[in-house]
Amino acid sequence: MMKKHTWLKASWLMVTMLLGLIVFNTTTAHADTKEPHYVITTDTTFAPFEFQGQNGKYVGIDMDMLSAIAKKEHFTYKLVPIAFNSGAQGVLSGQFDAIIAGMTITPERQQVYDFGTPYYKTGIIAAVSPKSGITDLNQLRGKTVALKTGTGSAQYAVSIQKKYGFKVTYFNDSNTMYNAVALGNAAAAFEDDPVMKYAIKNGVKLKIITQPANGGEYGFAVKKGQNKELLAKFNAGYAAIKKDGTYDKIVAKYLGSNEAKFSGDAKENNSIIGLLKQNKNQFISGMIKTLQLTIFGIVFATIFGVLIGVLAVVPNKFAHGFSSTVIYIFRGLPLLVLAFFIYIGLPSLTGTKIPAIAAGLITLTLNEGAYIAAFVAGGLKHVDAGQMEAARSLGLPYWKAMRKVIMPQGIKLMIPSFVNQFIITLKDTSILSAIGIIELTQTGTVIISRNMQGFRVWFIVAMMYLIIITLLTFLAKWADKKFASK
Amino acid sequence: MVAKVSVTDLHKSYGDNEVLKGINLAVEANEVVVMIGPSGSGKSTFLRTLNKLEEPTTGSIAIDGIDLTAKDTNLNKVRENIGMVFQHFNLFPHLTVLENITLAPIELGKLSKAEAQELGLKLLDRVGLADKATAKPTQLSGGQKQRVAIARALAMQPSIMLFDEPTSALDPEMVGEVLKVMRDLAEDGMTMIVVTHEMGFAKQVADRVVFFADGYIREEGTPEQVFNNPQDPRAQDFLNKVLNV
Ligand SMILES: Nc1ncnc2c1ncn2[C@@H]1O[C@H](COP(=O)(O)OP(=O)(O)OP(=O)(O)O)[C@@H](O)[C@H]1O
Ligand SMILES: [Mg+2]
Repeated sequence: MMKKHTWLKASWLMVTMLLGLIVFNTTTAHADTKEPHYVITTDTTFAPFEFQGQNGKYVGIDMDMLSAIAKKEHFTYKLVPIAFNSGAQGVLSGQFDAIIAGMTITPERQQVYDFGTPYYKTGIIAAVSPKSGITDLNQLRGKTVALKTGTGSAQYAVSIQKKYGFKVTYFNDSNTMYNAVALGNAAAAFEDDPVMKYAIKNGVKLKIITQPANGGEYGFAVKKGQNKELLAKFNAGYAAIKKDGTYDKIVAKYLGSNEAKFSGDAKENNSIIGLLKQNKNQFISGMIKTLQLTIFGIVFATIFGVLIGVLAVVPNKFAHGFSSTVIYIFRGLPLLVLAFFIYIGLPSLTGTKIPAIAAGLITLTLNEGAYIAAFVAGGLKHVDAGQMEAARSLGLPYWKAMRKVIMPQGIKLMIPSFVNQFIITLKDTSILSAIGIIELTQTGTVIISRNMQGFRVWFIVAMMYLIIITLLTFLAKWADKKFASK
Repeated sequence: MVAKVSVTDLHKSYGDNEVLKGINLAVEANEVVVMIGPSGSGKSTFLRTLNKLEEPTTGSIAIDGIDLTAKDTNLNKVRENIGMVFQHFNLFPHLTVLENITLAPIELGKLSKAEAQELGLKLLDRVGLADKATAKPTQLSGGQKQRVAIARALAMQPSIMLFDEPTSALDPEMVGEVLKVMRDLAEDGMTMIVVTHEMGFAKQVADRVVFFADGYIREEGTPEQVFNNPQDPRAQDFLNKVLNV
């Protein structure tokens, strides 16, 4: 009896410690001054407004401006780069206090957001592949046009869609959209003028075919009626940096820039070794994030899955129902939907923010855990009923019989499924890039948005995944041998 | 003196199917009771209610004066005192022979690991398998498996042993070795309730033979009475069939 309790206690302690570690890790950005602290989201790749510089830090017009304003107005903030659409929704759900992401001010958005002073005038332009020979929007009839989800450019393109008779397709980040056009999968892309110009300047093989249209303005946004203080600070700070010339210096720094300055050395970009060297820190930190997600994800999902799986075999109708419902729901939901629901949906219900990494781990735990639960239940049911009877007839209590007699036999049957699930978990972590976790896949996206080296960078990323999977498989085989010989 | 096992008006139903229809039985200490009867008559069900592997529907069961049907009875404690041997052995395949025997005494804190191993080896010697301590169950013959299963049950030092057709799954040449172990056990004074089709064993070892049919005890007495002069027509019929093959 004593022994069982200490065992339970120990495993609980471990779980809480690990959870604590993760939550703590992601919220340490708090300075211990009395300055107000905000959580501000931005896009992951929207050069020249926001993109990761070579040291892995976010830079760009929005970023430099925000940091200058924060300094002037004495507030601190934690920056959360995440896909634009998720970030915009996250502000509405209370996950973030504000968004600065080259966000065009529109009447629709003004219904739900309060915008600060417009800080950048822009227009929307269309670009095509120089090889396409397209020079005019009229030539797009019947062709497919690439747009970025949730952007003002996309809205504009849709508004002229009938007139020019093109079809549309959507992407989540600018760089993938450019590549779709450059590779001929789409005929044209619509994008904000400075963004497109920056990309072309940095090596994207596109040609602009229109004048800036539907001139719009970018604004810093908070949820309507919320964070008034932050909005006031932004406006005051913006006025100040506009006046003292800081703002102009920032804009000149990015739009007057030459290629090498932000996208890296052209020579280095042309070799895989060069790219690896140049982006070493980012690749390493992306790999570490992926490994963290994978390992913690596997540990939590295994604990959760075994618990739920065991509930499916205990002699209790309520436990059975609970177990099969949990398996049904979390195995049925696509991982991405679950991730968005937990990261963006739940906070709007409960009012508490969840760090992306915690949301990611919860997602993995529930989804991978449901799969684990299903095969754990199957494995345990496979163990002959006579085993439990024999154990109980000796006087062993139910849970002791479960642990000492049923589980060891069941787990042996489950080992191949576990190895399989671990590999799936590793691959599934890449889906979590969508909620803004800069793991290996997102690292690839981010590096490419700066240097436009799609093929080489994805090759590197793919190799890194294969290396991790190989290591993981070796580890699993080793563990299997060790267990089997026992 | 209180009976070792005392069963009063025991009923057991599975849904609409009443399998035990009012069983009364008292077993004294050191007594060997053999239960016989046609297939489906409820023998296994009865045996399994005695250590509550099956929940009785109504009626009462007392072991050493402890009422098993009372809510506050610690079933695990009671089970420690009742060894059970199954038709299909149910050895734990992931453990060695010795570990099969020592698992319960160690896990339940009855013995230290060293003590349990010492006892385990002694029991293996008693069932004639001293050389199989480190073997896995899959490496044993059926007769050897059943002898290990008996040793496993004995390791908890029970005062009652239940056997549910312990030799039915064995090849004929292995039946003798298991029955011999059981006979030795009876001679040592163990209280035993044995469901079996081995009429020879019943005649030689049983103090009492109980005949089951249709969920009732139809006939009960010494082996001589039951085998030589059965009163119940069903018992006469059954014995005719099993004794004259
Ligand atoms: N778990 C159960 N659920 C439903 N019915 C059961 C269950 N176990 C046994 N029965 C039924 O109870 C009746 C008695 O079964 P039991 O196993 O006790 O007979 P038995 O006398 O041991 O027969 P045998 O000599 O074949 O072992 C049978 O009709 C059987 O179908
Ligand atoms: Mg039976």
